[in-house]
Amino acid sequence: MTHENTQITSPPSPSEILLHLGPQHPLQPGPFLLDLKIEGETIREAELKIGYIHKGMEKVFEDRTYIQIMPLTDRICYLASNANNDVYCRAVEELLGIEPTPRAKYLRVITNELNRIQSHLLGIGEYTTDVGFLTMFIYMVRERESIVSLLEAITGSRLNHNYARFGGVANDLPPNYKSMALKTLGEVGKLVKSHDEMMSSDSIYLKRTKGVGVLTDKVASELGVAGPPLRATGVEYDLRRIEPYLVYDDLDFKVITQQDGDVFSRVKVRLLEIQESIYIIEQCLDQMPSGPYKQHVTPYITRPKVGEVYTRIEDPRGELAMYLVSDGSNKPYRFRIRGPAFATAQALPPLLIGTYMADVAAIAASMDSCTSEVDR
Amino acid sequence: MVLKNYLLTLRNVYTKSVTRLYPEEIMELPDAFRGQQHLDMDKCVGCGICSQVCPNNVIEIVKSGKWYPQFDNGHCLFCGLCIDFCPNGALSMTKHFELCSWDRQGTIYRPEQLSVPNKAELEGRTGGYTK
Amino acid sequence: MVIYDDIMYWLVFIFAESHPYSDWIRGILGGLVIGAVFGGALVMVYLERKFLGDIQSRIGPNRVGGRYGVLQLIADAIKLFTKEDIIPANADKWLFIGAPIVALTSGFLMVAVLPFDYLLINGSYYAVNVTRMDISILYLEAVSGLAVFAIFMAGWGSGSKYSMLGGFRNIAKMIGYEIPLGVSIISVAIMAQSLDIVEIVEAQDFLWNIMIHPLAFIVFGICLVADVGRIPFDQTESEEEIIAGWATEYSGMRWGLAFFAEYLHAVVGSFMVALIFLGGWNGLPIVGNLYIPGIFWLIIKTIMVIMFFIWTRGALPRYRIDQVVDLGWKCLLPLSLLCLVWSTIIGLVFG
Repeated sequence: MTHENTQITSPPSPSEILLHLGPQHPLQPGPFLLDLKIEGETIREAELKIGYIHKGMEKVFEDRTYIQIMPLTDRICYLASNANNDVYCRAVEELLGIEPTPRAKYLRVITNELNRIQSHLLGIGEYTTDVGFLTMFIYMVRERESIVSLLEAITGSRLNHNYARFGGVANDLPPNYKSMALKTLGEVGKLVKSHDEMMSSDSIYLKRTKGVGVLTDKVASELGVAGPPLRATGVEYDLRRIEPYLVYDDLDFKVITQQDGDVFSRVKVRLLEIQESIYIIEQCLDQMPSGPYKQHVTPYITRPKVGEVYTRIEDPRGELAMYLVSDGSNKPYRFRIRGPAFATAQALPPLLIGTYMADVAAIAASMDSCTSEVDR
Repeated sequence: MVLKNYLLTLRNVYTKSVTRLYPEEIMELPDAFRGQQHLDMDKCVGCGICSQVCPNNVIEIVKSGKWYPQFDNGHCLFCGLCIDFCPNGALSMTKHFELCSWDRQGTIYRPEQLSVPNKAELEGRTGGYTK
Repeated sequence: MVIYDDIMYWLVFIFAESHPYSDWIRGILGGLVIGAVFGGALVMVYLERKFLGDIQSRIGPNRVGGRYGVLQLIADAIKLFTKEDIIPANADKWLFIGAPIVALTSGFLMVAVLPFDYLLINGSYYAVNVTRMDISILYLEAVSGLAVFAIFMAGWGSGSKYSMLGGFRNIAKMIGYEIPLGVSIISVAIMAQSLDIVEIVEAQDFLWNIMIHPLAFIVFGICLVADVGRIPFDQTESEEEIIAGWATEYSGMRWGLAFFAEYLHAVVGSFMVALIFLGGWNGLPIVGNLYIPGIFWLIIKTIMVIMFFIWTRGALPRYRIDQVVDLGWKCLLPLSLLCLVWSTIIGLVFG
């Protein structure tokens, strides 16, 4: 049996209700429509409809020059804006035939990992409100504030960074950054570890999440799901190991996996990845060479050579890829974005059949999808 | 069973709260913060590069003696590209971010308005990042 | 204290009974009791917002009424009064309007039998309460069941799917939790050999009931949190799945009254815990009153119980509805029967 997106095939019988977890709902990070046919408290059929926030980004990008697109790629998924900038920058650099400077590579890795930490913290925070654990949301957001301040010190903005430039980065590290960053990261690491221990030993939380919403590794690989949902099923797939970009082949880190594939494992993978990212940043701050952080002159009109390129990056949510076709002019001919949240949203409706209503919130939030990236 | 929850939350009662009491206390902004732009009218040559790199068509070059840029704050993304690509360094960043106005005309900043120290710097509400 | 007892005696007997306008006086005193209860619920809302803020590393209200925001609730009440009162077109009008009224009624009926002190005046004992019944514990149980009815009226009468789901969940939960609630109290009443709440408190003048019978305290505490509808048992109004549950279609002061009734129920529940298990107006376990009037001890104990409920709200996640029903039938019902066994053992051993 293939794992297809399910549909609601018949109108509800007298013992069933058709409930719309509709475009506006307190549970969602963005507007989508989840139709559920419920009998009592159990879900019989589910259907997911997207497209409420389609902005036509790929068409808009065909009308902008390459440097004008850079701040707009931030907004594909506003929580992972550094990853978006980086993959776009590497795609254009490959067409231009230039390489970023060594110091710029380390700076991009640092901001990528900081971005990953803050995205995971907010994802876990939103998930815990859906389980009913309101205090945990505030603790996660409080930790996230320190990380976002670190990002603001480098790039200048908390959410939409616009940090990468062709051949380098926009700003250098401010003075005294290393001591401040190591102190903050140490505190955040300790607090996240204590939250992890608390959540693993809380019996109400374990009852809500163990064995709920199991995604098998075969189904996940077939659908193209990547990132924490895939690594929680036991498959060791991390683009930083398989196809190392920037300086990841010089750094020492583990690929975090868990075995069960349920809601508990997905959240646990994210919590452990935060601690691993802190370790990566500490190594980078030690190993970083001095030197220029951008090319001598960054031209503002770029004319890449004719060709096409496909680059990928390990986004906090999965695998983000961009396909860029250039015809030699200063605007792209075709720009296609492959968003990771699209695949995880596809995996959601078949997992919901047969569960209780309260589990819908937990499963949907543990997939950590960003609706803006699903629709673009 | 649920004992760690109780202990952790009790420990948090004794830590300081993280609420920022805006607008009485303003938070510390880093030096790289992207706020309202500042124009140095002596250095600007009117080349128009800032207008070409802006993603949102915010900048318009107008005549005020010589040719200078004019900013429409209603559409500005505060991305910082105009500052990065100015060849003479005439545009620079300030930390002014309280930019509301009562009508649409107030959001368009003419070159003369951009070249004087703004209200935030005069009142000292810019914060500092001196760790 | 002698002066306090004399004032109460004069107030209750001389001024109220033999005065020409004694009916009016008694009406005003009843109004004062209702006002005091309102004040108690307001204090609980304020404590909740501030204490929950402390747990969550933030400060609660701090703008209205000085640095500590004491008048924030008045401002919220004024705001609720000025909102538009919407009754949905699909709603059953009389059920929709009647639900907050029934909820408040059950709260106030419960206040009618709560005693606040027990005074020795001129050689005989008088309890400070509105009515003195012989079966006050059973009466309290029965009236707190009315609140379940009120939530279901709200859920069904709103005419919306979300509210109906909230109402169904509440009925499913409360069917399982009424029995352990009653049985644990009966087991305490057996030890005191009376169903009158004043007698139960008077039987605790040496040791508190929580020390003699801790199992009943645990069972009663869990069932009370489930009855009131606070986290971890607030599935009927959980925001994530069913938007506000039974109160989805309420706006303005109707919503204010519905949630006020819930806080009132919580305050009365904590009063019950303080009276039945924590010794009531008898001060400390062996030492006694220490010359401080009993009503102050009662208020301090109630506030401690309220803070514990708020702490639980800040610390625990929420159960799923089928796990709640499992907990009620499979875990608490056998435990409450064990309570009966325990109190029989205590009765046989100690006489």
